[in-house]
Amino acid sequence: MEAILTDCIRNSLQQLMYRNAIFMCERLCAEFPSEKNMQLLASCYLQNNQAHCAYHILKGTHMPQCRYLFALSCFQMDLMNEAEAALSPNESSEVPNGAAGHYLLGLVYRYTDRRQSAINHFNQALSLDPLLWAAYEELCILGAAEEATSVFDEGASLCIQKQYMHHGLASQSLHAPSEEHDVASTRNLSSEDVSPRKLKHIHGNNLRDINGTTSNQSMNGAPTSLPFYNTPSPMAAQSQFSGVAPPPVCRNAQQNGPSMRTYGADNSPRVTVNSAVAGPRRKFVDEGKLRKVSERLFSDSGQRRSMRLAGESVSTNSNASVVSGNGISHSSKYLGASKSSSLASRSLTIRKGQSWASETADEGIHHDAYDDSRLNITSSSLSPGVDNRSLEPEGATRSSSAAVLSSSRVIDGASDILSLLRLLGESFRLSCLCRCQDALDIYTKLPQKHYNTGWVLSQVGKAYFEMVDYLEADRAFSLARTASPYSLEGMDIYSTVLYHLKEDMKLSYLAQELISTDRLAPQSWCAMGNCYSLQKDHESALKNFQRAVQLNSRFAYAHTLCGHEYVALEDFENGIKSYQSALRIDTRHYNAWYGLGMIYLRQEKFEFSEHHFRMAFQINPLSSVIMSYLGTALHALKRNNEALEMMERAVLADKKNPLPLYQKANILVSVGNLDGALAVLEELKEYAPCESSVYALMGSIYKRQNMYDKAMLHFGLALDLKPSATDVAAIKAAIEKLHVPDEIEDSL
Amino acid sequence: MAESSEGEEEGKLTGGNQQLMVDDDLREMGKKAAWSVSSCKPGNGVASLRDDNLDTYWQSDGAQPHLVNIQFQKKVKLQLVVLYVDFKLDESYTPSKISIRAGDGFHNLKEIKAVELAKPTGWMYISLSGSDPRETFVNTFMLQIAVLSNHLNGRDTHVRQIKVYGPRPNPIPHQPFQFTSTEFITYSTLR
Repeated sequence: MEAILTDCIRNSLQQLMYRNAIFMCERLCAEFPSEKNMQLLASCYLQNNQAHCAYHILKGTHMPQCRYLFALSCFQMDLMNEAEAALSPNESSEVPNGAAGHYLLGLVYRYTDRRQSAINHFNQALSLDPLLWAAYEELCILGAAEEATSVFDEGASLCIQKQYMHHGLASQSLHAPSEEHDVASTRNLSSEDVSPRKLKHIHGNNLRDINGTTSNQSMNGAPTSLPFYNTPSPMAAQSQFSGVAPPPVCRNAQQNGPSMRTYGADNSPRVTVNSAVAGPRRKFVDEGKLRKVSERLFSDSGQRRSMRLAGESVSTNSNASVVSGNGISHSSKYLGASKSSSLASRSLTIRKGQSWASETADEGIHHDAYDDSRLNITSSSLSPGVDNRSLEPEGATRSSSAAVLSSSRVIDGASDILSLLRLLGESFRLSCLCRCQDALDIYTKLPQKHYNTGWVLSQVGKAYFEMVDYLEADRAFSLARTASPYSLEGMDIYSTVLYHLKEDMKLSYLAQELISTDRLAPQSWCAMGNCYSLQKDHESALKNFQRAVQLNSRFAYAHTLCGHEYVALEDFENGIKSYQSALRIDTRHYNAWYGLGMIYLRQEKFEFSEHHFRMAFQINPLSSVIMSYLGTALHALKRNNEALEMMERAVLADKKNPLPLYQKANILVSVGNLDGALAVLEELKEYAPCESSVYALMGSIYKRQNMYDKAMLHFGLALDLKPSATDVAAIKAAIEKLHVPDEIEDSL
Repeated sequence: MAESSEGEEEGKLTGGNQQLMVDDDLREMGKKAAWSVSSCKPGNGVASLRDDNLDTYWQSDGAQPHLVNIQFQKKVKLQLVVLYVDFKLDESYTPSKISIRAGDGFHNLKEIKAVELAKPTGWMYISLSGSDPRETFVNTFMLQIAVLSNHLNGRDTHVRQIKVYGPRPNPIPHQPFQFTSTEFITYSTLR
């Protein structure tokens, strides 16, 4: 009975029929209470977005997979302590699930402000599974990533190959039982979808994610990846299998399978796995759809990648589930991995898939044992996990063909994937370090089909945005919109670009589209808020940004935008609080440092202001805007030499930015070097002939030098250029005062 | 030479529209002020003047002149006062002669503007600027709006809403002048 129930549950999960799965699973647990059944139930709940249920069920369990799922549910419920305790209860115990577990633990550390530990764990995750893109992304966001070439290198390639070797054998053995599943699985192997699976699992982050996307193709639905893992029985031993084995439950597994190929398992909604597995990725809809969105975004790109990879025989799972969507989004993208029930846990391990090979040693013990037992159980009833996985309805590609991957194909595939990851990783790392021009250069080296994906294009747009080249950014982002119109990744930055360009039509159109695509994504509300802010309706803008924060409190940019609106409303206390929340989430968010610097500048707390601008400058040393404000703060502190030097650097950094020159003139005036100031302003006049403040400043300098005619001329020009009302009053007052000396002369 | 800024300008204001339309470069300053009135009927107090609800009104309850006092914590630049009054609804309670005074406190208020309303029916805009361009703003700690008399010689007065406007501050701190061209504005902030 147990086996039948289990099978039915797996089936339901594979078909995304959560209610059925949950109901059956509850019956199963009532009839045969055991940890592995609890695990299955928990994974059902997690896949149905009920992390709290999974939490209560798994409390106190000990099996590694259970601990992993428990930690995942704690993370989603924001219970960091418990998540940490579950993943690493004491020094000596192993982190469950290898790379995925390390990744999750890294996330926990990141959100509890233990940066160094987080970095350690992400690095470990990457070494265990070199295709764990999400871990690399997190490292970039923390600013501690190594060069992509060293991460995705030969060693990684060997790792991947080893894993596939196992799979290959496994699949062969699986053939025997030949359930459909097996076939499917083997197919998977051949289909190269394997990777997708992995991705999913790997990134535990979004439980949800991965599964979701792939949906289509999936024929195999998931198991594809599973097959690999399933084979554990023969191969067993490998921890890898352990993950896989369990029945199709793991959505992930299934999903992964097919979708694996695509990178972000979670993301790739489409996982276009062609034919082969692509099992529908199930995306668990997160509490915040953000993840989903990002997933979609990724899956999008993933899909393309999978196309590309399809050619390869190696189904290296591009673990790179680019889950993360850029640091901005919450890092918690869990690859739906954890869903799977106990078996699923195996699948989870699968994700790590590639890295499993190395992990097997450690984890293998756990898994193996587990697997073996499971396998035994399952094999008796059904073919191991493969069944589940291979439930692939579509089964289209059940490849009759033996899925044996020839080792040469594995090698080729691995090296192809790694070369792709190297490019992407390096450019992402550079853009996180704000070396935008370098990042852009590398992005252009990508093959066309990858370049034209939503993710890459929005990264390109982001790089232009940081270089303050808003027109190019606009272009890149609109290409990204055409490439993947439903993805929300990076759209908050796009809305800011449009805000800077003052394109209110485009901005409101974007905001409307985003809201209709996904009302529960913070990016949509950020775009809406920017729309209101452009119309100077700061109160409504603030409301919208607060909504974005509510939807995902780990979205740093929403906090920063809230801060900007508070400042516009002159509510500095709340502004400071918002900026500080943004910094709590992401210390390298230089916009928040800049915002704090501006507040202190207004409040005339110049020391604080200088400190904050300097922090922003350290993070983004190429931004001329930050440099010019740092110079202004230094000037206010009367450190004029340093201020002038900073302005020089700002001028050099970006020729198109007129502000540093203007500030330089200001500083020169205050130092008394009026001629120097005039020279600078003359130069500035050439560049920006319609700026009234330039003429006004020149007028006031001529006035000081008693050259009344010239002063009059410039004040007149300044007035012609329609300055603001306050300035009109100030300029006219200055003009009146100009006349006085003449009158005195006349009367003499 | 230039007229003193307390030049009296008598002029009858009439009309008044239902929509409040104010320039973009002005912003409402009332939130930062302490509002008080010389007298009020219970239930129709000073809160009704600031609640953005045109159905609620302040009703005075004493001798004329009736005063609305607006006190700021620091000197602010003010440019415009807008009142919502309606003869059709309030008839003899509608203010007729209004005097606006400014100063540092109750002890040194001086009249800066006097207007007479003739059957107003909506938002009435009273500009505080003098004729001189240097006098676009009134830089003051306190503003007092005095209702000297009502239509049809009514004793008490109804005012439904009052808003006070001043110029927007420079979005970029520490600048002598504000920026006007797109190049400057684009590079002047990070978002």
